[in-house]
Amino acid sequence: MEKYLYIALFAPLVSSLFAALFTAQPKKQFVGIVTSLLIFTSFVSSSILLVYILKGGEPIHVELMTWMATGGLYIPFGFVVDEVSVVMMMVVTLVSTVVHVYSNGYMDHDKSFNRFFAWLSAFVFSMMVLVMSDNFAGLFIGWEGVGLCSWGLIGFWYNRESATWAANEAFIMNRIADLGMLIGLFLIYWNTGTLQYDEAFAKLPYLDTATLTWTGIFLFIGAMGKSAQFPLHTWLADAMEGPTPVSALIHAATMVTAGVYLVIRAHPLFDLIPHVGLFIASLGAFVAIFAASMALVNRDMKRIIAYSTLSQLGYMFAAAGLGAYWVALFHLMAHAFFKALLFLGAGNVMHAMHDELDPFKMGGLKKTMKWTWIMMTIASFALAGVFPLAGFYSKDAILETAFVEHHFIIYTVLLFTAGLTAFYSFRLVALIFHGEERYKLFGIHPHEAYKYMLVAMSPLLVLAIIAGAFQHTFFELVEEALHAVHYHIHSEVVVWIMTIGTQAFVIAMIIYAYKKYARKDIKIPDGTSPVEQSFIYKLLFNQYYIPYFYEEYIVKPYQELSEIFWKKVDLKIVDATVDGIAKVLYSTGAATRGMQNGNLSTMLRWMVVGLVLLLLIAVAIGITVRYSERITLFLSGLGVL
Amino acid sequence: MEIGLNHYLVLATILFGIGLYGVMRRKNLLMLFFATEILLNSVNIGFAAISHYYGDLTGQMFAFFVIAIAASEVAVGLGLLIVWYKRHNSIDLDEMSLMRG
Amino acid sequence: MFDHILSILIFFPAVAALLGFVVKPAGIRAYGVAVATVEFVLSLVLWLLYDPNVSGMQFLETLPLVPSFGINYIVGIDGISLFIIILAAFFTMLGIATLPQNTKDEKNMIVTLLFLQMTMVGVFAALDAIVFYVFWELSLVPMLYIIGAWGGPLRIYASIKFFLYTFAGSLVMLVGMLFMAYFYYQVTGKWSFALLDWYRLVLPVSYQVWLFLAFFLGFAIKVPMFPFHTWLPYAHGQAPTIGSVILAAILLKMGTYAFIRFSLPLFPDASVLFMKPIAVLAIIMIIYTAMVAYAQKDIKQVVAYSSISHMGVIILGTFALNVEGITGSIFLMIGHGVVSGALFLLVGVIYERRHTKLMSEFGGLADVMPRYALIFGIMLMASVGLPLTINFVGEFLSFLGFYQQSHILTLIAGSAIIVGAIYMLSAFKKAFFGNVTKKENENLPDLTKTELFALVPLSIITIWLGVYPKPVLEPINNSVEAVVELMHEKAITPEAKLKIPDVKAIRIADAAVVKEAE
Repeated sequence: MEKYLYIALFAPLVSSLFAALFTAQPKKQFVGIVTSLLIFTSFVSSSILLVYILKGGEPIHVELMTWMATGGLYIPFGFVVDEVSVVMMMVVTLVSTVVHVYSNGYMDHDKSFNRFFAWLSAFVFSMMVLVMSDNFAGLFIGWEGVGLCSWGLIGFWYNRESATWAANEAFIMNRIADLGMLIGLFLIYWNTGTLQYDEAFAKLPYLDTATLTWTGIFLFIGAMGKSAQFPLHTWLADAMEGPTPVSALIHAATMVTAGVYLVIRAHPLFDLIPHVGLFIASLGAFVAIFAASMALVNRDMKRIIAYSTLSQLGYMFAAAGLGAYWVALFHLMAHAFFKALLFLGAGNVMHAMHDELDPFKMGGLKKTMKWTWIMMTIASFALAGVFPLAGFYSKDAILETAFVEHHFIIYTVLLFTAGLTAFYSFRLVALIFHGEERYKLFGIHPHEAYKYMLVAMSPLLVLAIIAGAFQHTFFELVEEALHAVHYHIHSEVVVWIMTIGTQAFVIAMIIYAYKKYARKDIKIPDGTSPVEQSFIYKLLFNQYYIPYFYEEYIVKPYQELSEIFWKKVDLKIVDATVDGIAKVLYSTGAATRGMQNGNLSTMLRWMVVGLVLLLLIAVAIGITVRYSERITLFLSGLGVL
Repeated sequence: MEIGLNHYLVLATILFGIGLYGVMRRKNLLMLFFATEILLNSVNIGFAAISHYYGDLTGQMFAFFVIAIAASEVAVGLGLLIVWYKRHNSIDLDEMSLMRG
Repeated sequence: MFDHILSILIFFPAVAALLGFVVKPAGIRAYGVAVATVEFVLSLVLWLLYDPNVSGMQFLETLPLVPSFGINYIVGIDGISLFIIILAAFFTMLGIATLPQNTKDEKNMIVTLLFLQMTMVGVFAALDAIVFYVFWELSLVPMLYIIGAWGGPLRIYASIKFFLYTFAGSLVMLVGMLFMAYFYYQVTGKWSFALLDWYRLVLPVSYQVWLFLAFFLGFAIKVPMFPFHTWLPYAHGQAPTIGSVILAAILLKMGTYAFIRFSLPLFPDASVLFMKPIAVLAIIMIIYTAMVAYAQKDIKQVVAYSSISHMGVIILGTFALNVEGITGSIFLMIGHGVVSGALFLLVGVIYERRHTKLMSEFGGLADVMPRYALIFGIMLMASVGLPLTINFVGEFLSFLGFYQQSHILTLIAGSAIIVGAIYMLSAFKKAFFGNVTKKENENLPDLTKTELFALVPLSIITIWLGVYPKPVLEPINNSVEAVVELMHEKAITPEAKLKIPDVKAIRIADAAVVKEAE
């Protein structure tokens, strides 16, 4: 079985290196095909491993070689395939395969076709390292690796100012969180003496609560960056500058869920500190509604989906924070399928619309893009959590968890967010596919995407529909590893009321969205309508002014302070002091230069002065020595000595 | 009144003062040499007087040394002075400032 | 013949440099490359012969110079100095091979570089304080020439500043050395400047403090630590590429190396005493210079200030005073040597083509020079400290080590990974991303074969030692364990005993655990 582990892990690396060989050359179709095949190989190997684990096989643990060893520290390149990582591997490789195939069509006309696949496969490799590592340091390798690939892919079109800016923003934001993660690692190392998951977790119960709390907090700070939780969330929306397949793979299905994975992976730690868990859950619930509210009014198709991702990540954290790790993982998986599908659908629309992103400028596309319409509608139904699609099962489980654990505020927030989710998802669908064909004003002739792109998306479609059916299998798979328990509400009546009530609420919101946005007379907003003038609309449209706040109160002051440090402090104070000392010495020399004017009589005079001075000193010393006793006596009489 | 050691030493001091003054004030190189000679001779007087007072010949020996060295110094110095005078037509000290720092 | 390999390593370049004066100008480059290559191969032989399991000094050679005052020519290496010597040989070779074709006075340049090589190897191999001091000061002279004769418009100012500043610092250090020898004389009745003799001395804490400060001044200016760093931007700004490369890659490491070789084992109590203040200085270095780097307009200055910032991390690791931290700081010295050396070479490449280093003059270079952008990108990521690059190993270990001493300070210092990313990425964005706006940049040629010859090996090392640092990390680790053990044994104050881990006890405990497991 180890063989499959290595294939699953290293096929993406080979793929990336292969594509990298051709980066300097114009588009080569075979690069896309070969990389897709290699990622597919990785997917097949992961599937074999999944079957093996499902059949009750022991987790596979391999150690490739030593990475760092010094003092008491020993970090190997170790990999583990257990119930948790195999689920992540499946999600990662499946979505990656789909996205690779899809990208063959999407990036068809791009001059940097080969480079795109090099980065994309490198990302898959980093992600595999992240999920398969058996220690925190290996996790950190993958963690930073996906950050790097995300940087390269967001800034893929590096000629665009906004893209490179977003890439740097994402990298730096993540770095802030990575510092927290690093500190978390240090805490683990100095308290347990190891960074291996199993060894470290075994020692956790012997540590005091304060240490555990700090460790948990710092690790979670790391998770907050990757998973774009408030207040480090702004980069995710800006990351939409990257090509759409990238958004589907990295910023919806895999990388952003790494934070959730970390919390799940470190569950022995978070189990011991429920108060931190509660904080995580509360923050998750907050982010869920916070992001959903921003999605309500946004006018950028990709950003709307990005905010919905953010919102769903909030759901996952809410579940994980409450200790329902398996629920979080299940939602992570289901979400990966329908959200990637949604993004790829959006990619099709973008292609058809010549990169137009404002849904108000689209409308009525269901005629020309039937399949995309169907896929995006189903994905939106899944996202909204409509029975019997995937989202229903996973989201319902989260709501039930919150209810059973008696966190009714979190429950209410999440329930309300479910309604918002339904509304903005179908606002988007309605604006894009229904109503008047507003794009005609702009002279665009839309067309459906290539057949094979649609075929490539189909596995995601199927999974978005049926993933809920696997809930039981999934539960059995991770039951032992995550100490999973079913969250059952005892009274059946309550269950029915809740389920039906939720469904009714969600469907009502969907219908409302359709009513409002599928009409024929939708106008392209121009900022004059009373709604757009309202404070709340402005607040939401400007993302609560948080990006503005960051720009004005963090980025700009940092720049100004840097300038001051350089021009004022470094040049005017530090360096000037050094030069000042030199100048004092120099000017002393210049001032006393007159003594050495070469005139014999002047020099002779100085000689005499020196002689007299020396004589006087000699005499003075002589007198002092001679009368030292008397002087002492005199001074002591004065009370000096 | 008997002439004792003190008188010689006072004389030496006065001569030394004159010499010193000359060294500091004179601008003529030749005069400078004279002043130096006065300085040296004042010291010689001191040496000879103290030597006589202690009955130790070392002081007089030193005086001879000084005389010899002064003589050679004057010989070399005057030679240089003449060369300088031939070149620059002046032996004014203020004009000799080639070694200005 | 290998008994004297260290002396050969030290003096072969110097002899070759003297002979270089009679070589015809046309053949001087080939001659220089040949000499430097032989030297590099010799340094590799040294590594081959080096026994990584021995923690003490190897290849010791002794030759009495002034026996009555205990001044001897003693050289020897351990895991701490071995790799810096190899790095010095490597960079001299690369530097000579990649000298621009139009270098004026090529012959003198190569002769100077070879002399510089002698002094560099000498500093890292010397085990006698006076010999160390001689090489330490001699290394200033070739660098003075390189900056002063081949530098930019402000070269005289920059070179004199460089020389006088570092010289002033090392004079204070010399006084410290003389006092050490005198103290040794007082205790044993014999004069000795031998470092290994000094290691055996246990000094009273009050002496340690003053001596520590005296040595500190010399080392801190060399590193350069805040606030003694202002000579460095001028030196880098004016020096030709080769000068910057060697300055950043090797010469700065002399300061941090000397901290580990002298300050820590000689004055363990003072080291513990000054740990926190020095850590604060290191933090200022890290954050402050990173911010200054962000404000720069000239890409070479960005790299120069980034060097100072990274040296702060090295200092921090050194003063972690435990095996993890010190090993990390030595590894980071090598890592930073490779990466900053490469970055300066890369800046030199673009300067050769455009004769400007202002970032505003570029933009969109990724389109015009893709290979250049790729290698720059690799080095950028290494400089930022991405895992699986050489710098990460050192940085991680340095921070990890210091975390044992102070949580808060490490947390603040750790912002190095943030501020580092900020200035590096924004510089990269300015120079490489966007569209080509200047006409002059449209037809810039990509890297030539010679440049690739220098940069590709550096890229390979950057990644190789990031993925598999063991061959370097292991010998360093063994030597560092010996240093820490010595420090722990020598420490007088209870605080120092507490802060410096007892390696021996840990080892025994580990062995017991292993035995139990068996």
